[in-house]
Amino acid sequence: MSPLLKLDHLRKSFGERCLLDLDGLKIEVGHAYAVTGDNGAGKTTLLRILAGIEPGEIAGFEFRGLPLTHGRVPEHARHDIVYVHQHPYLFHTSVAHNIGYGLAARGIDAAARGPLVEEAIAWAGVDHLRGVAPAKLSGGEKQRVALARARVLKPHLFLLDEPTANLDGEARGQAIALIRQLVGDNGSLLIACHDRELIELPGMRRFHLAGGKLVET
Amino acid sequence: MSLLDATGAAFRLLFGGDAELWGIVFISLKVALLGLAIAALPGILAGYLLAMKRFRGRRALVVLTQSLIAFPTVVVGLVLYMLLSRQGPFGSLALLFTQNAMILGQAILVFPILVAYTLSAVQGADSRAHETAVSLGAGPLRAALTTLNETRFAVLAGVINGFGRAISEVGCALMIGGNIAGLTRNITTAIALETSKGEFAQGIALGAVLVVLAFGVNLVMAMLQGEGGMK
Ligand SMILES: Nc1ncnc2c1ncn2[C@@H]1O[C@H](COP(=O)(O)OP(=O)(O)OP(=O)(O)O)[C@@H](O)[C@H]1O
Ligand SMILES: [Mg+2]
Repeated sequence: MSPLLKLDHLRKSFGERCLLDLDGLKIEVGHAYAVTGDNGAGKTTLLRILAGIEPGEIAGFEFRGLPLTHGRVPEHARHDIVYVHQHPYLFHTSVAHNIGYGLAARGIDAAARGPLVEEAIAWAGVDHLRGVAPAKLSGGEKQRVALARARVLKPHLFLLDEPTANLDGEARGQAIALIRQLVGDNGSLLIACHDRELIELPGMRRFHLAGGKLVET
Repeated sequence: MSLLDATGAAFRLLFGGDAELWGIVFISLKVALLGLAIAALPGILAGYLLAMKRFRGRRALVVLTQSLIAFPTVVVGLVLYMLLSRQGPFGSLALLFTQNAMILGQAILVFPILVAYTLSAVQGADSRAHETAVSLGAGPLRAALTTLNETRFAVLAGVINGFGRAISEVGCALMIGGNIAGLTRNITTAIALETSKGEFAQGIALGAVLVVLAFGVNLVMAMLQGEGGMK
């Protein structure tokens, strides 16, 4: 089977400094990958480039067999890739609106969105939070809403940036449980993380980023 | 007429439902609001683009916008007068001394305010707002509307400030409106010109209305800043 995403080369420089210099990356369908690396190694930057929200020099890019256009991650791929910030941003509307946002952007009307949003709210266990202003949610609650907001789109690829880094105790356990389900659902995930429990989830493959190079370990 | 008598007469005008007085107030509100409505979409759009896009000459446009906010209204009026006067390039439109000319003038005056407020609102916005919208599949328009909605209090502050400028300026309205009774005579031109003809009571009454409007604008601004600060 052809990979979900492949690229032959990815470079990213900030001014003189070359941060990323990848000689290839391959993400298989239905696999989850943890990207480890020291602080400042470029994990976030890599995810942002793949999400199409940060420019980078990419060569030989293919997503689901379709090539790159214009040097940026193309539109068709961006609709199938969802990036979740380390500190997710929730729109100042409502929990339900946040979760339905991507569906609305895909032209799905409110009547059709309703049940999907409900299902996602139940999945993330945030039903009791639907009346709370999103800005007032805790870090763990925001993370769960953001995961639901991404999952409801059934993207081919999730890019999660340190989804448990700021969480501990129960909140961390809840986030890990949701991510475990995403991994089990046969989605493809690329997760930047330091969290041992995430890295050691069953089926997780590992990349290590150092000196601008990505190596599978 | 003594000042006391004039004030008493002003009260009678205000609370006695004087048709001429309220007609003048109506013209002021109509012209200011229509000018604002015309400038709102292009002003907010321009502010958004200035904040989000990087292009040559952007810096110069930002500086120009900021200086236009403080541009003397009477000079805007002068330029418009020359453009719209019969000998001017747009003289054939016969706009001079009409409400439409005043509306155009107000739109021009509030445009840079809207641009500047939107610019700083969007620049000050959390960059994750736009990124999140894009990552969830929003196209440029939806992402723009989402970002503006996330900064709505700061954008609205510009709209309100623009209204404040439009309702209280006298130079432009006088130059291109001409203070024609029942047509282009608004609060500020009436105060400026009619008072000198001895219409003290009307001047005081209109002044009171203008002060209430200006205070109202500031009150709404303060409330918005309170709301925005709660995020
Ligand atoms: N816009 C930018 N301009 C200049 N340098 C940047 C920019 N964005 C990121 N960097 C630099 O790139 C480096 C990598 O940042 P990045 O956030 O990708 O690392 P990371 O691996 O995610 O680190 P962490 O584990 O701390 O999250 C950092 O040194 C950072 O300062
Ligand atoms: Mg990071």
